[in-house]
Amino acid sequence: MAVTMPDLKQGFNRVGYICDDSTALTVYLTLALEKPLLIEGAPGVGKTEMGKVLADILETDLIRLQCYEGLDETKALYEWNYQRQLLRIQMNRNLEDDQVTEENLFSEQYLMERPLLKAIKAQERPVLLIDEVDKCDPEFEAFLFEVLSDFQVSVPELGTIRANQIPVVVLTSNNERELSDGLKRRCLYLYLDFPSVENEVRIIKARVPGVADRLAWEMARVVARLRQQGDLRKKPSIAETLDWARALVALNRSRLDGKLVGETLNLVLKTRADQEYFREEIGPEGIEDMLRQGGNGGGAARCR
Amino acid sequence: MPLKEKLPDSHLEENLVTFTNLLRQAGVPVSTTEAMDALNALQQVDMSSREEFKTALQAALIKNRRDQGYFNRLFDYFFASPETRIREEKKAAVYKKKYEAGLDQASKELQFKGESLQLSASELAQYNSMSPEQRERLQVFMHKTETGVNVEERFRPILEAVVKSHLRYCRTNQNRDKKEGGSSSASASGAVPGGSGSGPGSGRAALSEMDMQAITASKLPEAEQLLQRLSKKLAIQILRRRRSGPRSGPLDLRRSLRDNMRYGGTIFKLKHKPRRRSREQIVLLCDVSASMQHYSTFVIQFMHGLRETVREFSCFSFSDDLENITPDLKNRGGLQQLLDRVIRRSDTWGGGTNLGLSLRSLMEKYPDLLNRRTSVIVVSDTRTIALDYSIKELGRLKDRVRRIVWLNPLPGEQWPEYRSVQSMSALVEMWPCNTISQLEAVLSGRL
Repeated sequence: MAVTMPDLKQGFNRVGYICDDSTALTVYLTLALEKPLLIEGAPGVGKTEMGKVLADILETDLIRLQCYEGLDETKALYEWNYQRQLLRIQMNRNLEDDQVTEENLFSEQYLMERPLLKAIKAQERPVLLIDEVDKCDPEFEAFLFEVLSDFQVSVPELGTIRANQIPVVVLTSNNERELSDGLKRRCLYLYLDFPSVENEVRIIKARVPGVADRLAWEMARVVARLRQQGDLRKKPSIAETLDWARALVALNRSRLDGKLVGETLNLVLKTRADQEYFREEIGPEGIEDMLRQGGNGGGAARCR
Repeated sequence: MPLKEKLPDSHLEENLVTFTNLLRQAGVPVSTTEAMDALNALQQVDMSSREEFKTALQAALIKNRRDQGYFNRLFDYFFASPETRIREEKKAAVYKKKYEAGLDQASKELQFKGESLQLSASELAQYNSMSPEQRERLQVFMHKTETGVNVEERFRPILEAVVKSHLRYCRTNQNRDKKEGGSSSASASGAVPGGSGSGPGSGRAALSEMDMQAITASKLPEAEQLLQRLSKKLAIQILRRRRSGPRSGPLDLRRSLRDNMRYGGTIFKLKHKPRRRSREQIVLLCDVSASMQHYSTFVIQFMHGLRETVREFSCFSFSDDLENITPDLKNRGGLQQLLDRVIRRSDTWGGGTNLGLSLRSLMEKYPDLLNRRTSVIVVSDTRTIALDYSIKELGRLKDRVRRIVWLNPLPGEQWPEYRSVQSMSALVEMWPCNTISQLEAVLSGRL
């Protein structure tokens, strides 16, 4: 599965994932060096999407491990099917000719594979997406980087299982807690920021069929302006921009104005405090002014 | 992109090693594995493209957004184009010549009885960096001393000591002014001459690395926003940690047996005990003596953002005695107002510090706050009168609470100079804490 840089860029274009050259190059290096890729960035900038589109581009399976507090090896790696083992013992209690031995009970048919083991045993190089790794416990993180360094696991009853193919590993983090140096050392690193206005226009046009050019441009500027407000509790994500665009297309709108922004605000600002902040600090009039001025609304967000 | 068989530049490895060393000097942790990854990454890119070269190095060496600013500046400096390098070298040569001439001139101006004073190069440079008025004042002082009655050669060491002390004083003032101007103490400026603050290495990142004492009134609103953001982030983190996982506790054998009676006593489904976690009780003790009030105000602000995550949060200020300021924190209206209301109104503001007496007051007047769930956070530079008594009281407090975390604004390198620091750090967890980023790092690991 040798992928070249032009192939990768073409792939991103094909699946509609708009990114800049340095992002594409970092992903290319991940594939070429067979190193895990750690992606950090604010919620909604396309970190998880990167794992999905990579699976699309490479035409392979996506194996996803969603991290949460309390996640342990039994949910991430493997677990013995305890109930099935018990049933087997119960069923064979009266059958003297069929001996239930320990080897029988601890064979692969009683092993429940979890995402990490699935990725290691996969015949074709899969994409392993370890999502929101910052939410798992530090103990699990330590276990994780052991797996990611050797790509092999030991099941005491079965022995060591080595990866058939080193999976493409994408880890995402919202940077809510500092990850350990050990984990970071094993990964290449990519920080994704919100897209520039120009890139956001391209994303909207690629993902929302039927959206008018002018509407896409005006929406991107409004969203960039909102993201510049440091006091917002939650900045609008790309997914929310796309939902907003779909809603406006469904409403058959081809232009944006202050009133329309006010009416559909709940699609981009999801807390009451943020909506009130918008009305007090910017308001429909502020949006009108910005759209009239024709500037980019201060869309200084860097390209991702 | 085909794998290049050979590196085109035989000096690449050496340059890369030097570059990673520079990054380390700037405080960016880079391991040998990462340096090797960088070398491997460079073999995969078109090294004639500066952008690709930079991206490959960045992906392999930089694992934190706040380090990207340092990386950018160091990269631009170290991997400068030949034209830029020649230009910079010319500039450096001119600067060196001017610097040496300045030292000669300073040495001539600082004479006693026709002979130059014994001053180091850095002291002479300090003299040159002073304003003309300051230099003139010093010269007038030296002249008056020299022409005084009965002033002989044996006065030379005394004069030298006075001049050195004055230069040191001026340097301290200049450093403080520079910090107030927004320069970051942790910037890579030592490694990068003329490096300008750009990217994440400046702005908010610089503010979080600035000595809290040096944050001026004009920067307070920005600092307040930063503190709110960081404490909100930490609050989310703490609350998330408290949410129990699917298998939070140890095996509950009694419940497992009872629940599995329906399967004829076979343990078919395991039951686990819930994880026991009680919310912590936090007592914050802030030294509000003159040298500490700035630090204390910032810590109070930060902790205030976390109050919903703890069972009980109490805050006291102390200098020569203890004062409960918890009620003052309720209707908070900003960092500046907090400073006005809490610190300036405090009876104890600006006084000397008697830690021992303050701790004794805490234990006698507020015994209910001190139990095995209580974490005490002390913000103080440990300088107190009645040190031995204070150490004894601190030991008594330690026996009554879960733990004591001490945030000390004195820089770590100065700790060995203070007996108070050495004695108290043996009793409590003591952490250097004079910047917002240190404050965040210490508290995020301890709450």
